[in-house]
Amino acid sequence: MATKEFKQRLHRALNNSSLRKALESFGDAYVISREAVYSGRDFEALRQKIAAIKSEAAGRYEELADQFSRAVEARGGRVFRASDAAAAREYILKVAQEHGVTDLVKSKSFASEEIHLNEYLQEHGVNPHETDLAEWILQLMPGERPSHMVMPAIHLLKEEVAEVFSRYLGQPVEADISKLVRIARRELRKKFLTAGMGISGANIAVAETCTIVICTNEGNARLTTTVPSVHLAIVGLEKLVPRLKDIVPILEALPRSGTGQHITSYVTLISGPVPAWRGEGESLKELHVVLLDNGRSRMAADPVFKEALQCIRCASCTNVCPVFQLVSGQAYGEVYSGGIGCILTAFFSSLEEAADIQSLCLSCRRCAEVCPGNINIPELVLKLRHRVVDKKGLSPGYRIALHGVVSKPKLMHSMLRAAARLQRPVTGGTSFIRHLPLFFSPLTKGRSLPAIASVPFRNLSQRLEQEYKVAKPHLKAALYAGCVIDFVYPQIGEAIYKVLGRYGVQVTFPQGQACCGAPASYAGDDETAVKLAKINIAALEEANADVIVTACPTCAVALKNDFVELLSEEPEWSERARALAKRVKDFTELVNELTSGEDRGEYKGKEQTVKVTYHDSCHFKRSMGLDQVARKLLRSQPGVELVEMKDCDRCCGFAGSYNVKYPQISAPILKRKLNSIIESGAQVVSMDCPGCIVQIRGGLDQLNSPIKVKHTAEILAAELE
Amino acid sequence: MQSLLKEFSAQAETAGAQVILASSPEEIAPILIEHLRPLGSLIALVDTPLVKAADLEASLRAAGFKIEEDGAEFARQADIGIVEFDYGIAETGTMAADATDLKCRLAAMLPLSCVALLPLASIRATLTQVIDNYLERGSWPNYLTLVTGPSRTADIERSLTIGVHGPERLLIIVVGDGGGKDGH
Repeated sequence: MATKEFKQRLHRALNNSSLRKALESFGDAYVISREAVYSGRDFEALRQKIAAIKSEAAGRYEELADQFSRAVEARGGRVFRASDAAAAREYILKVAQEHGVTDLVKSKSFASEEIHLNEYLQEHGVNPHETDLAEWILQLMPGERPSHMVMPAIHLLKEEVAEVFSRYLGQPVEADISKLVRIARRELRKKFLTAGMGISGANIAVAETCTIVICTNEGNARLTTTVPSVHLAIVGLEKLVPRLKDIVPILEALPRSGTGQHITSYVTLISGPVPAWRGEGESLKELHVVLLDNGRSRMAADPVFKEALQCIRCASCTNVCPVFQLVSGQAYGEVYSGGIGCILTAFFSSLEEAADIQSLCLSCRRCAEVCPGNINIPELVLKLRHRVVDKKGLSPGYRIALHGVVSKPKLMHSMLRAAARLQRPVTGGTSFIRHLPLFFSPLTKGRSLPAIASVPFRNLSQRLEQEYKVAKPHLKAALYAGCVIDFVYPQIGEAIYKVLGRYGVQVTFPQGQACCGAPASYAGDDETAVKLAKINIAALEEANADVIVTACPTCAVALKNDFVELLSEEPEWSERARALAKRVKDFTELVNELTSGEDRGEYKGKEQTVKVTYHDSCHFKRSMGLDQVARKLLRSQPGVELVEMKDCDRCCGFAGSYNVKYPQISAPILKRKLNSIIESGAQVVSMDCPGCIVQIRGGLDQLNSPIKVKHTAEILAAELE
Repeated sequence: MQSLLKEFSAQAETAGAQVILASSPEEIAPILIEHLRPLGSLIALVDTPLVKAADLEASLRAAGFKIEEDGAEFARQADIGIVEFDYGIAETGTMAADATDLKCRLAAMLPLSCVALLPLASIRATLTQVIDNYLERGSWPNYLTLVTGPSRTADIERSLTIGVHGPERLLIIVVGDGGGKDGH
């Protein structure tokens, strides 16, 4: 159950129009500038290099921390190993008090936010002054939450900043950005020149030379580490890398992935105490390094989550996240946001704190494509979801739906049949449910729901087997339909029979098949998922087919990957799951093979062509990599002219039960997708995921759009009207 | 060298710096006198071999600029800081300096304008080469700084604004050895 506080945060963020506008325009610009700065570079090779460096380091933190500490001490600095936040806070306060510090300057440090340093120092009479412009603005606005990890004040308008500065100075300030920046320079310069201590974070820490690397554009870290006579750096263990050379790939990726820059204006590498003006003359300043564990060793020892320590904190995962663009960092934890944020929060704070925010992930996998640390973030979020469910149990709604219904195929199928009969009052005999009464109404906001088919596919299959009977089949395929094709869009199943029959494939439909279990897996309910995996393996084995064909990428991923993983602890079942997985093929993959990969190129016939645009379903493209195969098949289909839409591979917002759990997030994501489809000028939009069809068909229906939504199988079956 | 210089200049200018070529140390003073006049009169100058070779202090004083004294207040009121960098990195238009010396750090960061002197022969293609060069020197510096363009922020409405904490103007003088091959 989501906490009330989380729901409020979500509601506030979703209703903040300047926040949404800022994040949307940043998100659009980011994709372009990121591509430009990486052009001519081998991003895959770069991220593999970074992943290897960081992963190696994560296996050797203890040894690297020792090496780093010895080097710091040899150069005259001091290191404090802080096992948790409290130890770090106490040490930092002690250093400040020993020097009689009343005011200190800080350059941006996630670790300092993670240990709630500012509040603690203030309670003990030491005033910390943030010097990164955005951090300072937020510091002057008590109660305001950062909206982005790299640009925490991106949601504020210049008028709001002017108001904050007016309050601070006690005199009116003009809402002019360059004047506001000049005021910040003047005011913070006073702090730099009088502060008794400077606190910085670190982007990288090199064990062999004890070098702390800090990147900024403003130059505030350089001033923080130059003027005051004491420098204290807070360094999370995950910043450690073994060798000096290791910083090169990280420095290549961090600014490019972070802000679309080739390099930040300032990169500072500190490896020991340097002179400062102290009293009457120059002498070496004091250098302290707090090496912070606070959950990092535990993470490094975790075989699943160790991968998250490959993060270099560029925030590119949030920059491309369709959900983050709507809710911003304000909906996430206080320090780390987005998909990677919930994983870090689970270890650096608590699993409880991560429980709500992990549920915001759509699993669209866009972040995994751009992560310079090569972290499979959506996969880790899913694993985290399982841990949350293991600890807290399923929410009552999910429990009833999954344990009570989905895990019992017979019951579920008869309920769906009953629903097909009972839905008439809301469908009015059409194929849509356009409005739902009372508290169900958000479910049909901006999107009609599909009606349940009057006759499910499982009742049509015998007739179709006869109708598309192949005399001498050279291949036997068993269709795994999945729930949406079976109970909502049986016509897609028919199209598959038709197309495959054309190529001499006899298709059968094993009646024992049930839901693939993905809805349970994505909700963190392995118990139901395991049960369904076994039912399906048994049913599909019985069909004795050469190939198991699917037309739903979510089902395909379940059959190809998830079953094997779910059953890994039961040797006999896991063997059967592996044997099955080898035979599973997506419909487009199979058709492509049947046409022996022959590319007929663009169809050049005389018929009138229909403009078709293609929507990339997340799992179809990012888990199965079939996006170009589908396009090839469509292009060579007579009468089809393929036109691309903007952001063709952006999620439609369906994401299984997500659109029911978070209709307020799913709806605006869908709206953007619909705009792209309409702007493409296509008459038909094709896709390969029945879930996306539910979402997009429903959205276009509410707009009364004439654009037709088709599964690629339907287009290949020449069912274009 | 010419192609490295070309790439360095193009990248540094994209980052918002201004790059001027002095074909020999003797040319530095006249260039600076012309360019610095509109930017103020008080200069924080960090003494280096190149500054000495160019006899900068005397030339600037003669032209009417005031040179800041050493001490607690160094560079705090200066309009312009003049520092020398060790290496250029062509790929990103970046300059590297061992900034362990306090005056070097202050002069480069506190004034609104910064003049960076960079020997032409010190421009390298990549950061990796520069790291190698420092490693070859024997001891790794306690404070190494990489600077690319002026101080910048986009924290308010993502609008790029220069000169937030450090200099808003970065003037890079690439200095040839007077061999005559490096001029325009």
